[in-house]
Amino acid sequence: MSLTKITDKAGLHRHLEAAIQLEHATIPPYLNALYSIRPGANTEAFHILRAVAVEEMLHLTLAANILNAVGGTPDLTVPGFVPLYPAYLPDGETDFQVDCQAFSRAAIETFLKIERPAEGATPGVDTIHKGRKRAHHNGHKRHGTAVRARHVPGHEEEHFYSIGEFYQAIEEGLERLHAEMGDALFSGDPARQIGPEYYYSAGGGLMAVTDLASAKAAIRLISEQGEGVTDNIFDYEGEIAHYYRFEQLLLGRYYQKGDARGRPTGREVAVDWDAVFPIKANARLSDFPEGSALRQGAEDFNRAYGDFLALLTRAFQGEPAMFVEAVGGMFQLKELYYQIMRQPLGDGTHAAPTYEISHG
Amino acid sequence: MTTSGKDPVLTSFEAVAGQEFDVVIVGSGVSGAVIAKQLGARGCRVLVLEAGSGNDITVADYEESVQRFYGAQGKDNNSAYAKSRNAPMPRDYETRKLQPGQPNADGYLVQMGPLEIDSTYTRVLGGTTRHWEGKALRMLPDDFRMRSLFGQGRDWPLAYGDLDAHYRAAERELGVAGDVEDQQYGGLDFGPGYVLPMRKMPLSYLDRMIARDLDGMEVTLSGETFPLKVRSTPQARNGVPNPAYDEGRGYKPVGAVSTHQEDKGERCQGNTNCVPICPVQAKYDARRTLYAALETGNVQLLAWSVASRLEVDGVTGQVSQLEFKTYDDPDAPGHRVGHVRAKVFVLAANAVENARLMLASDLPGSSNLVGRNLMDHMYLLTWALMPRPAGALRGPICTAGIEDIRTGAYRRHHAAVRYSIHNDGWGWATGSPYSDLEHLVEHENRFGAPLRQGLIDRVSRQFLMDCMIEVLPDESNRVSVDPRWVDQMGNPRPVISFGATPYTLETAAFSRRLSRRIFQRLGAEDHTHYDPLAPGYVSHDGEGYVLRGGNHWAGTHIMGTSARDSVVDSTQRSWDHPNLYLAGAGSMASIGTANTTLTLAALCFRTADAILAGLGTHAPASTTTGARA
Repeated sequence: MSLTKITDKAGLHRHLEAAIQLEHATIPPYLNALYSIRPGANTEAFHILRAVAVEEMLHLTLAANILNAVGGTPDLTVPGFVPLYPAYLPDGETDFQVDCQAFSRAAIETFLKIERPAEGATPGVDTIHKGRKRAHHNGHKRHGTAVRARHVPGHEEEHFYSIGEFYQAIEEGLERLHAEMGDALFSGDPARQIGPEYYYSAGGGLMAVTDLASAKAAIRLISEQGEGVTDNIFDYEGEIAHYYRFEQLLLGRYYQKGDARGRPTGREVAVDWDAVFPIKANARLSDFPEGSALRQGAEDFNRAYGDFLALLTRAFQGEPAMFVEAVGGMFQLKELYYQIMRQPLGDGTHAAPTYEISHG
Repeated sequence: MTTSGKDPVLTSFEAVAGQEFDVVIVGSGVSGAVIAKQLGARGCRVLVLEAGSGNDITVADYEESVQRFYGAQGKDNNSAYAKSRNAPMPRDYETRKLQPGQPNADGYLVQMGPLEIDSTYTRVLGGTTRHWEGKALRMLPDDFRMRSLFGQGRDWPLAYGDLDAHYRAAERELGVAGDVEDQQYGGLDFGPGYVLPMRKMPLSYLDRMIARDLDGMEVTLSGETFPLKVRSTPQARNGVPNPAYDEGRGYKPVGAVSTHQEDKGERCQGNTNCVPICPVQAKYDARRTLYAALETGNVQLLAWSVASRLEVDGVTGQVSQLEFKTYDDPDAPGHRVGHVRAKVFVLAANAVENARLMLASDLPGSSNLVGRNLMDHMYLLTWALMPRPAGALRGPICTAGIEDIRTGAYRRHHAAVRYSIHNDGWGWATGSPYSDLEHLVEHENRFGAPLRQGLIDRVSRQFLMDCMIEVLPDESNRVSVDPRWVDQMGNPRPVISFGATPYTLETAAFSRRLSRRIFQRLGAEDHTHYDPLAPGYVSHDGEGYVLRGGNHWAGTHIMGTSARDSVVDSTQRSWDHPNLYLAGAGSMASIGTANTTLTLAALCFRTADAILAGLGTHAPASTTTGARA
């Protein structure tokens, strides 16, 4: 899709729709890596990946809350919502693509790019900007179209170096529109909000968004739990940012308070890169013989995943209680992941879910 | 010491031996952890001694326990936890039917009878809350006035109302999920507008099935009629936070104990193996509180160290120092002996171990009541097959129970009782579902689809109702020590003498009759039977019953109003030794029909207040000494 600077409510909606799509786009790669870990092995890595995936669900839901608050309608069932992997992230980060692949160093390196800090705050770069980074408008030309366009294209495309900068643009848009429109900006039905009771994490929680302050709080939580738009390993709640969570796996050691970036000094993290189902990267249904049980299983998975997105959509469109059903459905998905990923394809790789979702 | 994002640093024998602290606490279970957290937060320098392993605080350590449970052949309530010959713990399978005059010394406990009690406890970091189920019921106001109201047992030196604020603190600390609306019975009062931190665990399909047929059924006891109702059970398990908690500020659940935020823990997802271990850390265990205590920077933890003797100044009665034994290998013989001094000592090692340590230190108390009045709930199990699949083995072990007859005038004649509906099938009584599989394969030669169908038919319809029966304090029920029986370290082992009185047995008989009525009403097929060769088998009025222990050891340092008739005062302070507190269920003067943990946690909040007051309102001068580097 193309995004242009937010100047009106429609533009804000487009950005928030992209935000939902963006948050979701990280989930299949994270879950494929998570469940490719052989059950019982790599428990620490498993937990780290899982904790991040759960927080992406939180971010997805917060983005939906913001969109609902400003009178939009979240819809996770529109064609093209789920990218075909490999895919560019929907915020226009153009220098890398995301693969759906097995737990591996390469996968974690991609995840680091997804969660990377704002430009200039990258580890290893000596000049550290203390403030939040601005978005780069017209910074790059886009290449690749893995995420299919679904919104009205604009003239001045925005591209962001990091997810944090993308959210910064949304926050600025919110502030600008709020200055023009006042509280009329938040015209959504509060009954559509998914409140803290629907999400459990010992870290930051889910919040209802009803005004500018709660919208900004939601954005802050998303940004800081991810890559940290500030330069800190630990965020304002003392929580370690996703970028550094992942980096621990490559560096083989946990960060602790007071550590410098790239130099964790905590306990060792044991990673067994071989205790993994060697799933095929970016698998497609066409990789599995037509009529085979495996093909059937992969189709079942896609249907179940589509159902999961449909339930979330219902939850975001006025039936918050469906959120619990959707999360419950992830237990079934987990079993389907394992069923598929246990199957060797005969070429040294194993099968994997394909995320080719069609909504009927 | 540890902080979030920091590795926990256990202190060492060398750093501790010969040192003086403000407070030394024996035991890292819920009692010790609550007191350590409260004192540490106020700047006291605290040392916690733990007999078990200290390598038990990270997610990786936790996973090891989960895997140990998965791999265990027998799934007893300590099967998830590392055994140690230097700090042994009781296992229920060590219990056997006693022959008159022949004690059972096979396990860690020496059982003298006449009733063999299959209760256990867990000597690991976090204590028995590691394997507890998590039920967090309050005791009833009547339970505190047993002698005045019913002419039975003893009164407490405090009233229910005196504990209300501490109950609230305990409900916050443990993270209790429950609906106050469901707890309106037997005089329970939570105060106006109070809600629990989290909403109730949803009732299971089985609960709802039973409620449909049972609600409104009436029971008459001593002329008093009680309508029965299936009610949700409050429990310390993470669920949906109640936004109305704390005057609308809500509640933030405490998740997994996790030194590097590698895992956050999850909401209860109904794995049905709360005992012995929740695979997703939804259940509270005392490591959460202990971790918060360590985070104050003022609390140090010395593991692999068994307290072995309290030394008392003969003139003042003050405890002068504590002797402990630190081992390097959990099983190999060999240890070092050290001593620590403190302004205040707290024994928080559970009712059996507290008494054992006092008696091993030749401190039976001026009342000679240390170790006596041993109580535990007696459980009568009743089980039946529902007419239709009822969804067994889903949900936490229990989500609802029948509470309406927890008190009444009938307590003049026989014991109080409450009933729990079990979501885990007949497991507790028969070893199901493993025993069902064995039965279908071995006795019915089933395999393939008929085997699967057989398991569905048999397991999914299982309904077990436990009858949790009150036991009164009785001086002849006791923990003692005997030089004939010592463990590998030379510490005396607990010797248990225990018997059931007619007061308890009458309620067992009543409950068995009631269970028959209930099963009939549900159209369920009664499968209850009691094996005369089983431990806990007793006869009453010509009928046999098997009584199982509840792991709710209590009463061994009973609370009262004077040194003549009790061991501790209402703050759990020893009458004989002014700088010694004996904390935990051992202080309880009655146990009513509530699992002991919530009440003992409340008592420990009270005790922490008393210790702080005794040490002076200002933080001790030594505040900074224990700070982390």
